[in-house]
Amino acid sequence: MADRRRINGPVGATTPPIFDKPAAPAAAKTRDAIRKIFLKTGITPSASGSAYLELENPNPKRPGNTSLKLSCTVHGPRALPRSAPFSPHIILTTHVKYAPFATRQRRGYLRDSSERDLGVHLETALRGAIIADRWPKSGVDIIVTVVEGDQDRDSPESQKDDEGWDMMNVLSGCITVASAAIADAGIDCVDTVAGGVAALVCKDDKTAPTIVMDPIVAEHGSILAACCVAYLPTRDEITNMWFKGRLPGADMMVYDKLMEKSLVACRCANRVIVQELNETVRKGQGIS
Amino acid sequence: MSSTSQHLLLSPAELAYLHGSLSLITPGPIRPDGRSPTQFRPLTAETGILPGTNGSARICFADGTEAVVGVKAEVEKTPVSPYEFVASTEGRKDHTVTSTPQKKIRKSKKAPAATEGGEDEIAMEVDEDEEAAAAAALDKVRGSPDWVELSVEIPGLRDDDSGTIFLTSMLTEALLADGEFVKKLWINRRFHWKIYLDIILISPPLSYPLPLLSLTTHLALLATRLPRLKSEADEDPMFDDDWAAATFLYPRQDTSSGKAASSKSSKQTSTAAAAPPASRPPITLLVMAVGDNIIFDPSKEELAVADSAVAVSVAEGPSSESEPESESISATTTKRNLHLLSVRTIDPPSRLTPPGVPNSVNASAWGTMTAATAASAAAPASASASEAAAKHPDARVTETEDVVGVWKAPRGGAKFAMLGAMVAKVLERGGVAEEVLDGLEGVDLG
Repeated sequence: MADRRRINGPVGATTPPIFDKPAAPAAAKTRDAIRKIFLKTGITPSASGSAYLELENPNPKRPGNTSLKLSCTVHGPRALPRSAPFSPHIILTTHVKYAPFATRQRRGYLRDSSERDLGVHLETALRGAIIADRWPKSGVDIIVTVVEGDQDRDSPESQKDDEGWDMMNVLSGCITVASAAIADAGIDCVDTVAGGVAALVCKDDKTAPTIVMDPIVAEHGSILAACCVAYLPTRDEITNMWFKGRLPGADMMVYDKLMEKSLVACRCANRVIVQELNETVRKGQGIS
Repeated sequence: MSSTSQHLLLSPAELAYLHGSLSLITPGPIRPDGRSPTQFRPLTAETGILPGTNGSARICFADGTEAVVGVKAEVEKTPVSPYEFVASTEGRKDHTVTSTPQKKIRKSKKAPAATEGGEDEIAMEVDEDEEAAAAAALDKVRGSPDWVELSVEIPGLRDDDSGTIFLTSMLTEALLADGEFVKKLWINRRFHWKIYLDIILISPPLSYPLPLLSLTTHLALLATRLPRLKSEADEDPMFDDDWAAATFLYPRQDTSSGKAASSKSSKQTSTAAAAPPASRPPITLLVMAVGDNIIFDPSKEELAVADSAVAVSVAEGPSSESEPESESISATTTKRNLHLLSVRTIDPPSRLTPPGVPNSVNASAWGTMTAATAASAAAPASASASEAAAKHPDARVTETEDVVGVWKAPRGGAKFAMLGAMVAKVLERGGVAEEVLDGLEGVDLG
């Protein structure tokens, strides 16, 4: 006998209604620049250095559309515990953690492998920039929290991006924000390090793939290859590079072009860092 | 601490000497073990060592590091997403796209009023729909990155150590980068193979284990066989229980297909199934730069003085035209269709090495004394701040510039051109990647 008093849910799993035509993704603007970056240092008073970064939302009118929001804190340099072995250099520890609500899939409180992987990339990018031998026997913790990942929540399940292209965007944001936070903490660096992404995208099978800077994963039909670079603009050096994907043909032309484009993106991001740091210095002078 | 940054007990003087000999330009770099810059360490390899796996391999490098890889495959049900139906029909011609929603609306309208008799009719319609979708999906083999699980175990390191995870994600990334590998795991619309790759480093990590693990994985995947499928289309999969009939995951070319293949098979020891497979799993090579020199497969000592290090993954696609240029030259002249899958910079452990102190600022070598006396003679009445700066006129120089013969951990990164050259050197025709692939081709896959 079925329970008539309550309105029971259906037996077994259900799926939300399928609308035949998902709302057309916003037409990818052919922009030859990266998205606008909002960067502010000194937002966490308890940390020795901190910064917050937000990317411009490409189409703010649509519901559920998000952009990248990162917050970074730097603790240190501080003395290592007595039990630690001697180190002639500063010991750099990087943590990248997604907030549980940052992505479409909920993230647990323990760091999963992709977060640890991002942490290693970030460490490589920063270690080249920090002048490590000025602080023997000390350590510094750099913690980046991804408040909102760079994912489009409108897109239906079928367009779910499992390949993790958005990780590249997150990494480049992490590098930029961590660089600003380190400068805010007053740790000596050879240069500010900025992150940038370029991707080889393909609208559909017919058109030839093009290279774009700072790709918005949801806007492009498919991403064939992407490249994330951490760059020291003044020294013209690359501290970290991460390329993945499949390039048509064995020639290096496309690869080199991708790298060049991501360096342009890095330079754009660096301008934002420099401007924000200038502002911070000016403010500091005004108070004292 | 990543496995690259494990401390190596070399003094600054030794590091400076190593760096100096590796960055020589005129005779080329002189490596501690006498190899040429592009030469790999000699290795012994065998496949099919683990009877309980679908494919396995073991590689032992001459320096004593040894790795074992086992590949296990399981049949798994593919979760059918309701959205898949929409997605699969969407890609087809326009008339199907327009017809599907109508059918759907009809179905949903009938459903609430469905009597016992009407239900069959609906079921029929659903079947029709599903058949159309199946036909659409059949010609489109799809894969998902979730179908591959790769684990790396390195003695002395925890599973969740960032170095281990970095290695795992690098090897996984190379496998998944072009999306071709997961397509091989597709059985039908409802089932797929799930591949578990378990990589175990048996020896302690005497050098950065990436090339070793990658080559072992490559061999294990080449040797992997899956039972032959007997069922058809979307049936529950049934397999031939004769292991001898099992098919290779990376199928071999026909021996009679071309001259190149036949000449290769004559070179090899085994005769059956000796022809190389059309496409091959990726390999990841470790490349480092010291000065202007590019050095392949660095040992631990060499990596300790690297200016930059890069891991490059390449794979070989189906060779378009494999024709030997002449019969006298061996089969290695056949064209390989290499493509780049992934590149990652690796944090070189050289950044954590202790710096040396130049004599000019070293108190025990009387360096600062002479500088201090000279400074005090020149400016006896200067302010204390400028005095401190004047006391060590060389301090600034040693801080910013390199002193010959004194080791200083590298700062900054690599130049754009250098990174490009490293990748190009891997991919170039007749380069190291081809050499390694040729070498691995000689391994008997049983």
